[in-house]
Amino acid sequence: MDDSLRHYLILIPALPLAAAVLVALLGAKVLRQYSHWPIILALAGSFVCSLAVLSDVMNASKTAGDSGYEQVTTLWTWADIGHAYNLKPSDPAVPATDAGWRNFRIDITLRADPLTAIMLTMVTFISSLVALYASGYMHGDRAYWRFFAYIGLFVFSMTMLVSVSNFVLLFVFWEAVGVCSYLLIGFWYQKPEAAAAGKKAFLVNRIGDFAFTTAIFLIWCTYGTLNYHDTVQESGIRGQESAAAENVTVRGVLSPSRIAANDYATGAIATAICLLLLLGGCGKSAQFPLHVWLPDAMEGPTPVSALIHAATMVTAGVYMVARCTPLFAASPTAQLVVACIGGFTAVMAGLIAVTQFDLKRVLAYSTVSQLGYMFLALGVGTFSGVTSGMFHLFTHAFFKALLFLGAGSVMHAMGGVIDMRQFGGLKRLMPYTYATFLFGCLALSGVFPFAGFWSKDAILGAIHDKVHVIEHEQAHRASHASGADNSHASGEDYAHGSHAATPGVLQAWSDEQLATSRGVYQWLYYGAMFATFLTAFYTFRAFALTFHGPERIPTQAGHHAHESPPVMTMPLMILAFCSFFVGLLFVGNWRSNWGVNTFVEFLGRTPSLAGGLIAATRGVPEFHIDVAGQSSLIALAGIGIALFLYLGHSHEAQSLQRMWNMEGVRRATDPAWIARLEGIPAVAFVSLNLRRAGLGFVVSFLGFVLGLFALILSVPIIAATFITPYRLSANKFYFDEIYNALIVWPLRIIAGVCAWIDRWIIDGLVDLAGAIPPAIGYVMRGLQVGLVQFYALAMVLGMLILAAARLLWSP
Amino acid sequence: MNEVALLYNFLIVGGVLFALGLIGFIVRRNLIVMFLCAELMLQGVSISLIGWGRYHGSLGGSTDAWGGQMLVIFIITVAACEAGIAMALILMLARRIGKLDSAAWQNLREDGQPIYVDREVPEERTEDRVWPHLTPAGIQPLTDPDIIIHRPRV
Repeated sequence: MDDSLRHYLILIPALPLAAAVLVALLGAKVLRQYSHWPIILALAGSFVCSLAVLSDVMNASKTAGDSGYEQVTTLWTWADIGHAYNLKPSDPAVPATDAGWRNFRIDITLRADPLTAIMLTMVTFISSLVALYASGYMHGDRAYWRFFAYIGLFVFSMTMLVSVSNFVLLFVFWEAVGVCSYLLIGFWYQKPEAAAAGKKAFLVNRIGDFAFTTAIFLIWCTYGTLNYHDTVQESGIRGQESAAAENVTVRGVLSPSRIAANDYATGAIATAICLLLLLGGCGKSAQFPLHVWLPDAMEGPTPVSALIHAATMVTAGVYMVARCTPLFAASPTAQLVVACIGGFTAVMAGLIAVTQFDLKRVLAYSTVSQLGYMFLALGVGTFSGVTSGMFHLFTHAFFKALLFLGAGSVMHAMGGVIDMRQFGGLKRLMPYTYATFLFGCLALSGVFPFAGFWSKDAILGAIHDKVHVIEHEQAHRASHASGADNSHASGEDYAHGSHAATPGVLQAWSDEQLATSRGVYQWLYYGAMFATFLTAFYTFRAFALTFHGPERIPTQAGHHAHESPPVMTMPLMILAFCSFFVGLLFVGNWRSNWGVNTFVEFLGRTPSLAGGLIAATRGVPEFHIDVAGQSSLIALAGIGIALFLYLGHSHEAQSLQRMWNMEGVRRATDPAWIARLEGIPAVAFVSLNLRRAGLGFVVSFLGFVLGLFALILSVPIIAATFITPYRLSANKFYFDEIYNALIVWPLRIIAGVCAWIDRWIIDGLVDLAGAIPPAIGYVMRGLQVGLVQFYALAMVLGMLILAAARLLWSP
Repeated sequence: MNEVALLYNFLIVGGVLFALGLIGFIVRRNLIVMFLCAELMLQGVSISLIGWGRYHGSLGGSTDAWGGQMLVIFIITVAACEAGIAMALILMLARRIGKLDSAAWQNLREDGQPIYVDREVPEERTEDRVWPHLTPAGIQPLTDPDIIIHRPRV
């Protein structure tokens, strides 16, 4: 590896770590209110190094072959256990070429490839800005230095997470960022909610981590290595080194050579590995069913929410799944599950965000929703899908960090109040925050030409393509079935356009698989479109509630209610600029095809994405004007409805809320309306004439039937009072309550039973053992007379007994 | 002399010394006498050690096996040290209560155990309270007839 590249790679994590240690040691006594300087300088240095790595990788990868570009640098060996595991060639789950004795060897290895370079640049850039912002936001906090020490530690862990080349190390830093997240959520640990939120985040993540470790074990048992890259291992059994002591190459799990040969386990073992990895990713990236921790994590300081719980750490799951693309490509089932989880989470979180009044929580659910988008894109499983997911990750980091920092600026001015019902119309008060927040909202909603537009459309286009390709394969099979002569006609079909992708992958699928996945992806496409609408709606709902309407300022704000200092608005402006340009920047060709995305091209030279099954799906990219048009219209509709409802016309919002609460339906359950029916002239005329004709019983009967109908109707309606759409959404679909009832309370009961068993049965046994020596002692106590002669006599007697035993028992 | 017969002689002497010491240790209550008896036992064992040392040394053909005797010299040295400490302890005890009776010290017994004394030491008679005088060095001591009478009782 190039020496300078190696040094940059080492410096990127080393600088934040050094700064964190420095601040941790000196912050409390020496640095005090200057504690942010070492961290900001170190992060800026890391960012510069990341740019250097990025440009190096860009230049070098241009000349890389089909297998992609990767460089690894080994610092030292962390663990080395010789001949730890013998992979049996007879085991069907093990790829035949991997059989043999394997060393369990973990080198501290850093890698440079396009995916890592992009992640490093993004993480260090956002974290530098957030650290700068936090120096203003956290000003005057009692534990100022502690905050910056944690931030430095976090950036170290995160940069290591994306640059290590081994699953165990990935897990180590996966946990390290989790710890930093825990520490920072509970930063104001005096607040009980903050401490509880930190604990919740930690515990929910443990579930995902358990699955992740299990996945790592399975990978080890299947592939006999945990490295991404190829490594060299001395062959020969221990103790017989002389016999054939030549080196063999152990192919890494994600190495170009393995990807090129597509030597991956398939079937159940692949699905198991992928699903467990996915569950690990779900924990870190807050996907259903483990999404519950992220909204609570908003108890932490706002810069933390921006950095860790929006832009960087929560994308670790997406990064991991993207990195493991070759593993996922081996299991279409797992890919489908990834897509379903992502799509479901995107819609579900979007629905919750629509009714939240806590500005940060709206953004938190928005983050969950956008992460769902990314997972949906990864689950599409085509080249365009995975790269668009990563592209969305990249753009989302900028505008979501911007939105959170903007929310933090509002919170700063409002004296810590974040409930949107208590403030409003801050447009004139905070012009910079207003303008930058608007940029963030437009980017998040996916309005042309902001960053979100490009990445969101890339995702929608990828799903669209996937459905198209599956339909194509179905048509191809149908034509096959109708006549063997048509076989080359279908060959022609494959020849044109990007839709010709994935013949090799799809041909292996059965007809039912095709039909199922076509249906699922079609629905996911609609779901993603709906999520686009929801995104636009809740974003501009929050925007309108916060910045428009009559100016309201809570009393807590006091004299604070003014625009934030430049040290906070400057990062906002930089991020707003990025939110605008970071999508445009990568449009390769303005004249002909906007789908040629230089970001995707660059990312595609990562080994995981460059070869194997995924490469077969790499067609000529297309910009789908129909998809883009649809999604733009939907987003504009969402923005329009939100602005119409919340821009000063709050009675529309109330009528919408009434509708969501199904109040009209509920009114139908009140039998009074039946009596009021007679007030309508036509009905009154009919009933009056019926009565006159002596048929009054008919009217009574009809009234009775209607009353019965109302009664029957009332049963579900009364039940539904608790589960109207509005309430469901406002109460976050009762996920916390359901988890409490299904998991927390049963566990508490089991824990209580265990505590009782421990106290009375286990401890009882121990106490019983402890009671034996006193009992013996009680019997023997009479012998302790304290007379020297008696002891001497006892010794003599003992000696005599020994001598007698020796005499009587001779072997 | 036959080596085996010699060993027997050694062992008999050692055994007798040990038995005497043992009996004395158990029977007597005077701390100093008990200590002397313990020394007696030790020397009995030492003698048997010399006997065994010689016997085993001669089995290899050599007639001058000094291992046992060498060890015994060490034992005697250590025993001398012990004697110093033991006498100091006995002196401390005797100063506390003015008695050398081992039965006076039964503090090791368990709570609730009675003090066991089979017979009290008879009170010192007044006529016994006659103490020896140090003899001036270099001069024929004048022997007092009283001292000649009472000395064995001390």
